[in-house]
Amino acid sequence: MPTSQELKSIARAAIEDRAEWLIDAARTILDNPEPGFTEVKTSRFVSEKMSELRIAHQSGIALTGLKGVVQGGKPGPTVAVIGELDSLRVLEHPHTDPETGAAHACGHHCQTPMMLGAAVGLLVPDVLESLAGNIAFIAVPAEEFIDVEYRWGLHREGKLGLMAGKQEFIRLGAFDDVDMAMMVHTASTSQETAKFAVGGTSNGHVVKYVKFIGKASHAGGSPHLGVNALQAAMVALNALNTQRETLRNEHNVRLHGIITRGGAAVNSIPADVRYEGRVRGRTAEAIADANEKMDRCLRAGALTMGGSVEIVTLPGYLPMKNDPAMMDLFKSNATELVGEDEVVEHPRDLNRGGSTDMGDLSQVMPVIHPYTTAAVGSGHSTDYVVTDYDQGVVNPAISMAMTVIDLLHDDAQTAKRILESSRPTMTKSQYLSFQNSRLTEELYEGV
Amino acid sequence: MMTTADLKAKACAEIDRLGVELIGIAKTILDNPEPGFREFKTARTVAEAFQRFDIPYKDGIGITGLRGDLQGGTEGPTIAVMGELDSLKVLGHPHADPETTAAHACGHHCQIGMMLGVAVALQAEGVLNHLSGRVALMAVPAEEYIEVEYRDGLRREGKLEFIGGKPEFIRLGVLDDVDLAMMTHTSSGDGDAGSIAFGGTNNGMVAKSIRFLGRASHAGGAPHMGINALNAAMIAMSAIHAQRETYQDPDTVRVHPIITQGGVAVSSVPADVRMETYVRGSRIEAFMDASNKVDRALRAGAMAVGGSVEITTLPGYLPISSDEGMLELYGQNAASLLGKTNVHRLGHRTGSTDMGDVSQLMPVIHPYVVAATGNGHGIDYVVQDYELGVLTGAKAMAMTVIDLLHDGAKHARRIVNEYDPPLTKESYLSLMRSMLKETTHTE
Repeated sequence: MPTSQELKSIARAAIEDRAEWLIDAARTILDNPEPGFTEVKTSRFVSEKMSELRIAHQSGIALTGLKGVVQGGKPGPTVAVIGELDSLRVLEHPHTDPETGAAHACGHHCQTPMMLGAAVGLLVPDVLESLAGNIAFIAVPAEEFIDVEYRWGLHREGKLGLMAGKQEFIRLGAFDDVDMAMMVHTASTSQETAKFAVGGTSNGHVVKYVKFIGKASHAGGSPHLGVNALQAAMVALNALNTQRETLRNEHNVRLHGIITRGGAAVNSIPADVRYEGRVRGRTAEAIADANEKMDRCLRAGALTMGGSVEIVTLPGYLPMKNDPAMMDLFKSNATELVGEDEVVEHPRDLNRGGSTDMGDLSQVMPVIHPYTTAAVGSGHSTDYVVTDYDQGVVNPAISMAMTVIDLLHDDAQTAKRILESSRPTMTKSQYLSFQNSRLTEELYEGV
Repeated sequence: MMTTADLKAKACAEIDRLGVELIGIAKTILDNPEPGFREFKTARTVAEAFQRFDIPYKDGIGITGLRGDLQGGTEGPTIAVMGELDSLKVLGHPHADPETTAAHACGHHCQIGMMLGVAVALQAEGVLNHLSGRVALMAVPAEEYIEVEYRDGLRREGKLEFIGGKPEFIRLGVLDDVDLAMMTHTSSGDGDAGSIAFGGTNNGMVAKSIRFLGRASHAGGAPHMGINALNAAMIAMSAIHAQRETYQDPDTVRVHPIITQGGVAVSSVPADVRMETYVRGSRIEAFMDASNKVDRALRAGAMAVGGSVEITTLPGYLPISSDEGMLELYGQNAASLLGKTNVHRLGHRTGSTDMGDVSQLMPVIHPYVVAATGNGHGIDYVVQDYELGVLTGAKAMAMTVIDLLHDGAKHARRIVNEYDPPLTKESYLSLMRSMLKETTHTE
């Protein structure tokens, strides 16, 4: 019976052998960026790679998601290794698709290759035979909660329930047979100094889809006959800024958004103005409080102009909760790979300010969501570019493979111990009813 | 038999004879500026002048107002000749009272001089006997619609119903027996300095006294526990600006708030913020429509911060229109004094005056003597030409009174007959009362 150390060495060697293949995959995805729920090419490409590795899998889960479960030598818990399929939209990123504005400005293109890399290591027969349990290789759509109007449309057509990838996977039962999960996100040298960072947390959020409704009229000839929906939005956003002093620093609240439609013609009073926004915070209570403040401002804008406003609040993400025991395993594997000085552990309450739907998953099962520092530039910006593909793809793949070995080796004693001691915040059904309760629609008429 | 021209000559000579004294009275008032309904010293100055010129009068009308009466030789219509008692408040004006900041930055001090000038002119030997009718000499309080919170307090105490002097005079019946009215305002100009301008129209308005209510809290330690009433006011003001494009040009809508209380301590979240504003427009419908929009903006401010707002809308002034028949007579008299090139007609002006209210009930004129320099209501508005600002202004009015009431008051009777009043006193009062609205909004 090989020791876990021996298994890790075998897995590592297999992954290192495939390094070029994995990095090429990442570069191919980088060159074909697709935003969430439209990752058709990316999904097909990852599916081909999974087939190449002989991983039987389902496709089309939550439109573009993939999942293949591989059984170890003995039965046991199921560990998911997750990669995210979607890109952001960032105009003028060096790798932006000129037609769609899509760009991998958040490094997700490295994630499915990491997942494939972990598979390369774990599928080595000697390794797989020694594991007690299953490994679910999952490519999820739509981690970036963008294109809100489009996704709300998919929801209304019945094509989506929840409107982000992992949320929808949970709803569809694609995580029902999964006991614990991991993924690694890229980070930039502007955020992290070490090669790996574990720990910390993220903000939760709700997502706003807002439509200010006015009345069109000739903007020169008869502005008095119009109701200016853009002015309503301006008043609302000014009002929103005055709320900031009422937000508590320790809640890490973020209120921000974009105007996706600001009028149809400059000489016509804007009658339909759309705003997509975000209300983030450290706790569900902080989010609910800030969300009510945003709603008050949106209504105030409509009231000022005598127009109306439709406010759709979509259930967003929950704060990230890293499982400490899984984190320790990952940390020691990463340390073995890159050395102690290159692994940093953030305090549990260090909030990175952003949000991820891995947070949702972390409420229903033990997960980890470490970072690998492989990029330069500022996340979600034009200068966020992965420069170190060994650290971006190969090292995280090895670290995850090693961590899976730790979990499932030796009759999966470690995984079982973690599952016994972990206390999920919610059951799946509690999670779904909480999220469904956060989906609200309101029409306010300002008279 | 005296001709009209003889009477006018006598009247003008009397104004010249007493010119130094009349200008002296104007300058005394300049040096003792008092805002509306507080013109006690100014009222005493007028009372002393009435006594000195042997004019029977009543005082204390509308708190500080006065009315003296001169009876013509025979019966006929009554013409009111008005002057306004009150000053503005302008910080840093060269004639500002350092304690109260009151200052005559609108030239009302000359108006009392002109009104008394008409009084002495008509008392010149033989003039009054040849006139048919009566001249009511009125010193009216509070034309400037300011200190709204203070005056609204007087209203709540039952000391006033309306915030302006002439609406109060109308309500109190002081104008019940008056058939026509006139007054002359000063104005400033460069190109038209030394001239007289007349005719035209003015905006009407309502005023608002506004109170945003929030919740005080330590602004550093616990801003999240507060509700910031100043932010509510800021949002409301942004919102008011966002509405401006919905106003039609001919309606000349003006909305221009001030904040009279913006918080009590910088370290405490403001919980009680007060604003005053006018909402003006050239038509009653226009400014009432704008008033509703402004209310929405105020409610939006309170709504956004989760506070509340109390809005008191007070009836203000109505748009003015001058009577063409009176203007024609006045224009000829002004031209005879200054030459045709120094007399011109005005268009629409976007300020407001309570002479507008009077104009809804009877024929009026409200000309301007361009005797000042600087910007009206600004720190540099200073009357330079007292000869024009008091004496010539008085002469033009005295001559017009003579035109109206001489010869059996045939002109006055014709003008009154041809005049079709937009409102009666009763309908005026009910319109004004319908504009009063007190609401509290928590949304």
